[in-house]
Amino acid sequence: MNLVTVQEQHLPGARLEDKFDVALSWGFDGIELRSAGEYQFAARLPELKLARSRGVVMPTACVEMSHFIGAFDAELRRDAVAQLQSQLSVMAEIGGFGVMTPASYGMFSRRLPPFVPPRSDQESHQVLVDALGTLGEHAVREGVELYLEPLNRYEDYLVNRLDEAADLIREVGSDGVRIVADTYHMNIEEADLAAALQHAAPYIGHVQASDSNRLEPGAGHIDWALFGATLQSIGYTRSVAFESRLSGLAEAVLPVSVALLRRYL
Amino acid sequence: MSASIIARAVAVLEGNWNRTHTLPATGLYPHQWSWDSAFIAMGLRHISARRAGQELDALLAGQWDDGRIPQIIFDPHRDADYSPGATFWRSSTIPGSPGEVETAGLIQPPNQAWAVWAVHASDPEESVRRNFLARAYPRLLAWHEYLRTRRDRRGSGLACIVHPWESGTDNSPLWDEALSRVSDQPKHRFERPDLLHTNSSERPSDREYGRYFWLAERYRDHDCDDVDSGYPFLIEDPLFNTLYAVSELALARIAQALGKDPQPHERRSREITDALGQLFSSRLGCLGAWDVVQDTLVDKATINGVLPLLLPTISHASELVATLEGPRFLGGGTLLPPSYDATAADLEPELYWRGPAWFNMAWLSIIALDTHGRAAEAARVSANLVRLAEENDFPEYVNPWTGSPHGTRRFSWTAALTLDTLKHKDRKLLG
Repeated sequence: MNLVTVQEQHLPGARLEDKFDVALSWGFDGIELRSAGEYQFAARLPELKLARSRGVVMPTACVEMSHFIGAFDAELRRDAVAQLQSQLSVMAEIGGFGVMTPASYGMFSRRLPPFVPPRSDQESHQVLVDALGTLGEHAVREGVELYLEPLNRYEDYLVNRLDEAADLIREVGSDGVRIVADTYHMNIEEADLAAALQHAAPYIGHVQASDSNRLEPGAGHIDWALFGATLQSIGYTRSVAFESRLSGLAEAVLPVSVALLRRYL
Repeated sequence: MSASIIARAVAVLEGNWNRTHTLPATGLYPHQWSWDSAFIAMGLRHISARRAGQELDALLAGQWDDGRIPQIIFDPHRDADYSPGATFWRSSTIPGSPGEVETAGLIQPPNQAWAVWAVHASDPEESVRRNFLARAYPRLLAWHEYLRTRRDRRGSGLACIVHPWESGTDNSPLWDEALSRVSDQPKHRFERPDLLHTNSSERPSDREYGRYFWLAERYRDHDCDDVDSGYPFLIEDPLFNTLYAVSELALARIAQALGKDPQPHERRSREITDALGQLFSSRLGCLGAWDVVQDTLVDKATINGVLPLLLPTISHASELVATLEGPRFLGGGTLLPPSYDATAADLEPELYWRGPAWFNMAWLSIIALDTHGRAAEAARVSANLVRLAEENDFPEYVNPWTGSPHGTRRFSWTAALTLDTLKHKDRKLLG
């Protein structure tokens, strides 16, 4: 039985404790936090600690920034690493598992003009290895994990599939870096969702659920039975976070969706 | 224990999945096989009813105009890896074959309608969403009509096989005498890629393969038309016809679910069940096969001849139960029922269908035992099935006494039927 969590922006309520009560009433087990840049996440530490002391379950945080570790600009890359280090430390302080990040988002796509990125693949590779190495060390020191998220080809050109993320993790050689498998991106990039999860199984640290159309599970055409059976088969026992847009009002669609997912987890 | 074996069975089936269907084994069997797919779907439905439906959709898409569902649908990229392959059958040159895919011209036992019903029943909502039954039903009707009209060669009400491969139990002793009348000198110079994956002592011999090819050539060279008057191999197999009768019962359920009349199928199932009585051997306490060319009973006790117990109304049921539980099958210290009479002098416990225990036959035996109120023995066979699958990485078959594994490993129907045995404990025919 995996914990099923939902991202905080879908939950009404002023305080995390209020949001948590709503999450529970809709059938979730906890909250996935959104961790903003400019050290805003660290600034939330008192709020997060209070929520933690009151029993709010917050195992993971999903980064919310405008630049990432694979940025073309060196200064932005440095800031992305610094922000993630801070966020990993925050998650360690509140007893969480880790923070996720893509290599880049919205920066460049090989499928859209001008098609050829302004940096060599070798350089891009080195940029990622360096950043993941630094963050992996930091995560291990803090006792948490960094989750690298492959995004689809239109949103990221650096890491699109689970096997690409697994190759990077093997190269970096740090137990502090794992993969977050997001079913929306996988539906676009993986030939076979089940086979991709099986092959990357030892490296998967977190899972995000979103349907083929980026709406909540059940609103698209992903095979959730296959998804659930595969997570059980690979021995994945951690949380599954809803990260999606919604097809209707949260209070109407999310309870139905989480019930659907639980049929298979 | 059961959590880990379920996880491993799922991993085998997901590893052997190939876009639209499941390979029986990625090395030894690189195409889609008809009765394999139906057995596989029985387990796959516990992973994903959608994927199990896709498996059967892919199989039914290989149907010929005459209704036959072919033994094999070939993967054109793997033609050198199995013999006979697509280049041997050249099905696209035979009238009525499907234009889109290359297939074998032969068939396999008709367990497909049973599988379609089981997949539907495992998740009716998904089935309805995919329009699964409505799409499958006319194809299954045509398939059974092919068997009724083209394969009932002596008017007995039973369907004939025209090749040992059509039984699924390729080198069963049931076919020895009929096969001995067949030339072992085919025109086709055949290869044996199967021997790259397994020990030759566990596979049929080259001489048997020569006869298999000669028969297949003759059937192919008559355009697979089932009217070759001098054709030397026509046999009514008790297991083939049992699955035919079970599948008619499944068609009745399917018809009912679609708002159609189930009675013609129930009637047809009774006819086949009654006709099977002609094959009973009182000497052996089980059914033999009928050699239609010689018009004689092949009086040998094989697992094929006790599995008519799957049918609740089969005649001689108490004798059949006694035989299945007696020294020929489960009473002689075996872990799983052997494919051939355990008391026979020529049993070979590690040679394919001449003695080894197969997991599909064990699974069918469990259902047969449960159908006739033998729950304790069914539970014993179930426990052994799961244990031997787990200990030996889902082998193709095992020595019935020692459980030692043979053939290929990570074999799809072994994984699928292990999964079904674990997930589907309260077992009755057709769920």
